[in-house]
Amino acid sequence: MSRPLDDLVVLDLSRLFCTSLCAAFLADFGARVIRLELEPAAPREAEGWNHEADLIHRNKQSLALDLGSEQGRTLLHQLLAKTDAFVTDCSVAELAALGIDYEGACKLRADIVYGRLSGFGPVGPDKDLPAIDELAAARTGMMPILPQPGQPPVYTGAGAMHAGTMLAFGVVTALFHRAVSGEGQAVDVSLFGANMYGAALDIQAFLAIGKGDRLLNPISRLDVSNPMSGSLYKASDGRWVTLTMPDTDRWWPTFSKVTGLNQADPRFDTHDKRTESHRLDLIHALEAAFAQHDGAHWRRIFVEHELSADIIERFDHPANDPQTLANRYVIELEHPSLGRVKSLGFPIYMSEGTARLDRLAPCAGQHGSAVLRDLLGCSEDQVQAWRSAGVLG
Amino acid sequence: MAKALDGIRVIDMTVWFQGPVAAQYLGDFGAEVIKLERPQGGDQARGVRSIKSLEIGDWNQYFLVINRNKKSMAVDLKKPGGKEIVYRLVAESDVFLSNLAPSMLDAWGLSYDELKAIKPDLIYATNTGYGRFGEINRPSFDMTVQAITGIMARLGEPGQPPIYLGMGSGDAYGGIMSALGIVLALLQRKRTGKGQRLDASLYGAQLFLAAPMLQAYLAGDQSAALQSSRKQVANPLWNLYPTRGKWVFVCEPNEDARFAALCRALDAPQLGADARFASAAERARHNEALIELIEAATQRHDDAALMAAFTREGIVASPVNNLADVVRDEQAWRNAYFMKAYCEEVQREVDVRGLPVTLSKTPGEIQTLGPQLGQDTELLMMDLLGYEWEQIEALKAQGAIL
Repeated sequence: MSRPLDDLVVLDLSRLFCTSLCAAFLADFGARVIRLELEPAAPREAEGWNHEADLIHRNKQSLALDLGSEQGRTLLHQLLAKTDAFVTDCSVAELAALGIDYEGACKLRADIVYGRLSGFGPVGPDKDLPAIDELAAARTGMMPILPQPGQPPVYTGAGAMHAGTMLAFGVVTALFHRAVSGEGQAVDVSLFGANMYGAALDIQAFLAIGKGDRLLNPISRLDVSNPMSGSLYKASDGRWVTLTMPDTDRWWPTFSKVTGLNQADPRFDTHDKRTESHRLDLIHALEAAFAQHDGAHWRRIFVEHELSADIIERFDHPANDPQTLANRYVIELEHPSLGRVKSLGFPIYMSEGTARLDRLAPCAGQHGSAVLRDLLGCSEDQVQAWRSAGVLG
Repeated sequence: MAKALDGIRVIDMTVWFQGPVAAQYLGDFGAEVIKLERPQGGDQARGVRSIKSLEIGDWNQYFLVINRNKKSMAVDLKKPGGKEIVYRLVAESDVFLSNLAPSMLDAWGLSYDELKAIKPDLIYATNTGYGRFGEINRPSFDMTVQAITGIMARLGEPGQPPIYLGMGSGDAYGGIMSALGIVLALLQRKRTGKGQRLDASLYGAQLFLAAPMLQAYLAGDQSAALQSSRKQVANPLWNLYPTRGKWVFVCEPNEDARFAALCRALDAPQLGADARFASAAERARHNEALIELIEAATQRHDDAALMAAFTREGIVASPVNNLADVVRDEQAWRNAYFMKAYCEEVQREVDVRGLPVTLSKTPGEIQTLGPQLGQDTELLMMDLLGYEWEQIEALKAQGAIL
């Protein structure tokens, strides 16, 4: 079956998990992704599964060039001339030293789509700060308000993944524009920008309102703004229950019944009373109500009554949820030495071009001769000569 | 200036957050996005009045920012005349996007098969809650989906309640994932001439968001699922530390030279001389003791003094800012992550989230903030769909349009 990125060549020069995964995503959807090995490959561990590599480098080919050598850089430039899209998280200085900053790359391939993930964006005083997600998250303003009051700030790691997905979106959008117009361009995303977009509503609220302790300091779960939405309550077995029923009028008749509250309780009989005048009373009533039964009971109730609520789960849930396998969010694969193992799958379903796993992560340099033969027309003798000279790993 | 998605028409039949964000990305880059809403109140997000118990003020930033650059048509699908309008619109469109329940779309005659019969190369995109296949068919919101992914349960100090990643965080991520699926399908259609259906669910996106930790868990690392304490991280040089002011995040590898620099910056020579911390392996072995001692040193300073010392010694670190800091952050404004936009509703410029994806030759743009309900119904019916004025009047009288 065809896939959206068939026949496109992508060169992947990345260090970060999220950028490498972005390139793997493009490979999942059909691109020929050539991973350029930056550092000498660490020896594969004798035992165990390199599960990270088999996610972030799956479906890729690997090429190891000695970029310190003249010949290595020449090959890199020749390869870039055959590249439709370049994906990197290297610094501009590193790329310039290799002659493949955006300007250099354009000289080699005028219509290249040049995707780069940085720490803080392509311009501005902090454009050269390192691409470290923790630094970007710390700048974004959300870390202090995620935990309960009095707790340390929380780093989630979500910003990096968000940035990698933004990079894929930008690159594919630019490829579409190129298909229409013949014009390539630079695509820039940053960990900082992505962290800010993950913090969408809080940041936008503060931009608009310009003040508010509830946006600057953590809010206790027992002081939540809507007792029936964004709230957390503890079940009798210590498991946590979460509710998202912002329009409380719609849910109250059923919800009050299953939690054993009196639907007609005059403290709670309108949305305004539930979320404003008697908000704290309702929180305490629900805190007591949820402590009456265990998590399994509440899950049963939520499913049976189709309530917008659930139990907070750990990773064992998606690992074993038939829903994740049915939708290939988690896949099972045959590992050469370990047999059947589970791995993260694909987040998007497409009826005519869906992702697939063709191969696990390559060994460093595994596809050197194939890549140089297919893309540059090099002979096997030439390839062998470069290999003996140490230009090719 | 040319836009990457010029000439692409999108029917945006989405509500609340995830779906509207997906269409917002397409609109930012030049697609003509037509938001299709019910005449009775439209998208429920139009009704948002407060966020975290704070009044949102005189403009609804929840709705207006993610529905920017869009047109709005208000059409009642339960009226036969209304359905006809949508079918004629589908015939003129490239993408149909909805985050409503598939069963609801089917009931309204908006299934993929029906729309494909009208427009064979249509790209039909859905945002289900839990995926297109399988048994689960329940209402889904950001946090209820986040809850079952396992992301929340592993955050926070041990024993603390689970951590929600932020209001709308999972929806925002689901939105970009959906936009990514749509541009993939557009590119494929450009090459093959074929449309298709696709689904980017909230659950699928959020599981991908958990990739580093979830993959480790799937490979057998049980601890990846559990809360872990900042007092026990393996590398004390890469950690959060309290000061007299803000917390700071120090991001250094566990290397001798970096440790020496940190000790100088903290003015704590006794740490550098302590045999327990003499090598990377020793520092990892005595990590808890070292974290305590570094913490004792950082707490003697405020964050500004500490950051100055870090800069002097080349230590990579950042203060942990709050939202009041980020809205003033020059870097965010310079990169158009924040922008000014004119808000019709209040007749003035307002500050909005800008463009996180920067395209050098076809940059995104904010032309208008979110539309008024049904503001473009009549114009689009006449110009695009070829209705006569009398027909429009009659449909209005039936209540098929606003």
